[in-house]
Amino acid sequence: MSHHIIPSGFVRTVLQNGVGRHICQLQRLTLKFCKSTVGSKGMRDFIENNLLDFTRKNPGVVVYLQPRRHRTARLVAEYLNGDVHQQYVNNFSEEEIHEWVKLLRSQSGQKAVRLRKYWHTDNPSIQGIWTPMTNRDTELNIKAFPDKSLSAKLLEESTASEKLLQKAAELRSKASQSEN
Amino acid sequence: MVFLTLFNLARNRGPDKYWRVQQQLRMSWHFRTRTRTCYRIGMNVVNKALMYSYNGRKLKKEQMKYLWNTRIEAGAGEHGLTRRELLEGLARSDILLDKKVLSELAVYEPRTFQSLTEIAKKTMSDTRVGKPLNVLYEK
Repeated sequence: MSHHIIPSGFVRTVLQNGVGRHICQLQRLTLKFCKSTVGSKGMRDFIENNLLDFTRKNPGVVVYLQPRRHRTARLVAEYLNGDVHQQYVNNFSEEEIHEWVKLLRSQSGQKAVRLRKYWHTDNPSIQGIWTPMTNRDTELNIKAFPDKSLSAKLLEESTASEKLLQKAAELRSKASQSEN
Repeated sequence: MVFLTLFNLARNRGPDKYWRVQQQLRMSWHFRTRTRTCYRIGMNVVNKALMYSYNGRKLKKEQMKYLWNTRIEAGAGEHGLTRRELLEGLARSDILLDKKVLSELAVYEPRTFQSLTEIAKKTMSDTRVGKPLNVLYEK
């Protein structure tokens, strides 16, 4: 029941991202701010000081600036899988906004859920997953069916006839010993 | 303040009805019939669901342990050992792999598991006290 309410998932990368080349999952970053209010001061300072370095280091990310009068400052990050993440940064300092921008750049667009396992592999088996044939005799590969020996009845204990024969053999050996 | 009785009897009665109902609806959205939408009808069902999820956490551990044991027994049986013999042999060889890992090896790395059974057999026969070697260990 709780898995319907608190979603959980496994560790995933988007199309096995880091295995070959790593592709930045952040597609678009929109900086919405106000030119005059106090809450956007950190944002304005960030744009003045750090934004161009960010854009030069990440040429794959498209950056939009949207100055809107009397609106709170926010970062809108759009990812390659279509997800949109809004981060309100009103009254944040320049350093804080810088940290948030770095986080948004390094995220994939996947939702943050409770991880059921902290590891994932696409190849769980190296020696080959167990099959019913793994530990069987390989002679079965060249057997012609139907096979008499394989069709024979499996017995855990010996049959009555075999038990009688065993007893007879024991008696004979005892008799021969007593003679000697 | 002189008369404090009324103030002492005042209690925080909890969140507003709206929020209590919303909490239940968030937990009952996937139910059938009116238990999904109606508070009074769904009250008991939601309580039961919470109870089942609480108990289920303990049951899950028991059931996983049972599953691991079954797999180890099956794997050991293929190589001529019982589960106890295998685990005893590994413990005597100072191999501290737990049942979860052993069951995963039995499924995903069958040759490694086979090697572990060989180690267990050898250790059991080496550390055997008193009785002569059994045919079981002389394969």
